[in-house]
Amino acid sequence: MADMKVLDASERGLSASYMMWYRFSRNPAAVIGTLIILSVLFLAAFAPWLTPYPKHVGAVVDFRARHLPPDAAHWFGTDKAGRDIFSRTIFGLRISLLLVVGVLGISVPVGAVLGLMAGYFGGWAEKLISGLTNVMLAMPPLVMALAVSNLLEPNLMNAMIAITLLWWTWHARLIYTVSKSIASEDYIEAARLAGAGPVHILFREILPNCIPVISVKTTLDAAFVILFGATLSFLGFGVKPPIPDLGSMVADGRQFMPDYWWEVLCPGLAVLYVTLGFNLLGDGLRDMFDVES
Amino acid sequence: MQQHPLVAILTRIGTFVLVMIALSIMIFVLARIVPGDPARMALGPSATSDQVQAVRLQMGLDQPLVVQYLDYAGKALRGDLGMSLVSQRPVITDLAQTVPATLELVFVSVVFMFVVAVPLGVVMAHYRDRTIDHVGRLLSLTGVIIPSFLFAITLQLVAARFMSGWPIIGRLDHDISWGGGPTGLLLLDGLLAGRLDVTLNALQHLILPAFALSMAGIGQITRITRSAMIENQRKDHVLTLKSFGVPERVIIFKYLLKLSSIAPLTIMGLEFASLIGNAFVIEMVFAWGGFASYGLTSILQKDLNAVTAVVLVAGLFFIIANLIVDILITVIDPRLRRKEAR
Repeated sequence: MADMKVLDASERGLSASYMMWYRFSRNPAAVIGTLIILSVLFLAAFAPWLTPYPKHVGAVVDFRARHLPPDAAHWFGTDKAGRDIFSRTIFGLRISLLLVVGVLGISVPVGAVLGLMAGYFGGWAEKLISGLTNVMLAMPPLVMALAVSNLLEPNLMNAMIAITLLWWTWHARLIYTVSKSIASEDYIEAARLAGAGPVHILFREILPNCIPVISVKTTLDAAFVILFGATLSFLGFGVKPPIPDLGSMVADGRQFMPDYWWEVLCPGLAVLYVTLGFNLLGDGLRDMFDVES
Repeated sequence: MQQHPLVAILTRIGTFVLVMIALSIMIFVLARIVPGDPARMALGPSATSDQVQAVRLQMGLDQPLVVQYLDYAGKALRGDLGMSLVSQRPVITDLAQTVPATLELVFVSVVFMFVVAVPLGVVMAHYRDRTIDHVGRLLSLTGVIIPSFLFAITLQLVAARFMSGWPIIGRLDHDISWGGGPTGLLLLDGLLAGRLDVTLNALQHLILPAFALSMAGIGQITRITRSAMIENQRKDHVLTLKSFGVPERVIIFKYLLKLSSIAPLTIMGLEFASLIGNAFVIEMVFAWGGFASYGLTSILQKDLNAVTAVVLVAGLFFIIANLIVDILITVIDPRLRRKEAR
């Protein structure tokens, strides 16, 4: 029996997290996704210093440089006002990321707390969440967001509110399913018998076990929010010009198709790049935590 | 809990009715609490306050919200959705004109999805981790992550450059004289009237937008079909069939495919809402002039009656699609049909 050393918690924790890291780092999709996201964060954070024409973010007009095709000076060409599309695209990433932070920053915590409560307590919270999600399911999110943001006032802030109003229900539903199955585990009963209060059980016993599901869902959702935001602004419900925003840049460029194709494709492919990154990362996390969804 | 399938379907219909009621309350309240006076918006800035007040009374805006809602719901059930502020016609007339175009587009897209995605998923599962599987996974990932407007515009660009003469906007060439048919579905009306040129021309116009609209679904359904096929391959009865020497082809097409088509069908039903959402983008890019184009215009113009109707019709689309899916699944899956016999 001497060689059967009992591992203490920290050693087991270390080896488990090491195993997760091992699986993550050996997964090419996950690594590529991480690199893409890091590059996007880096570009967005240091946009004023990295872009060749930071002034072109504003209402600059340079008619001699209108509709220039991509070359060494303008990697993505220039738009109808002669502004550098590369610079504007990099700044446009900021808006996309802002949208992600705004929407998920509210809907993930709200959805998680309500989902946890519904799963553990049942009762009205359970009914409310399943009822709401059933209605939300029938509603095309895009149509709802358009309706809400326009009935208020079409701008990015209201678009964000509209998306958030819809989004939290999905998180609530997911966390509800997970927490409901965890709530019937023996160790929850044990904790309750040991005198743990509901707050302790919810946040110290159930929540940690929901983290894998939450992180996978949040990462994949980041891609959806970006797609969604770009689509909204493509349809004309985005930020006000001249602030660059990927969806509205595509919409602007569409007037000059097919001759000036770069004005459409370059910002459009930037959206694709970010959504690709979040999707690969999400898939990688799913493999790492070994969760199904 | 064993139910007769008919009871199950009736229960589902009941749920759907409740969902529709909830949805209508939600959008109605939303449309009434927004800043701005619908009567003022209907009349424009030059109207006097007396005129506005008269219209307010006429529209019933002075009544409590509950009364307004019940009034609206009662009329809506009789097909009266109010007047559109923009077109100055009953909303129901506008809908009757625009819904068929969207219906046609959505129908062809759904056909595309199944024709492309299910066989692809089957082939990918069969040749798992081989080249064709990797190519298919790349394709389905692209379908999931690509912005629908980008894909639609790219299709237009490609068509404009390499397929000269191929129509990239509208439903029908302008030089074809066509007075309209009974259903509003050009493919069908053309056939009914014996005008093959109309049907073929409409089909030509349909292919690009339908492909663009189906791309996201193709991505999802390919994934689901593939994983369902792989999972079901390991089932005991499939192994038994294999050990009896039943040919692979028969196993796949007679036994596995049926079993594996339930998951993609369910997903199809759930994804229908985002399909309708994407139709807004696709119709705009391809100048389709359908229900979604109408919805977009009415939202931009703050045409409240039209917006409410658009949201309700979009919900109805979803619900009907899901009913069809439910019925199909009951037909496909004998376990659901036999429940009462056991």
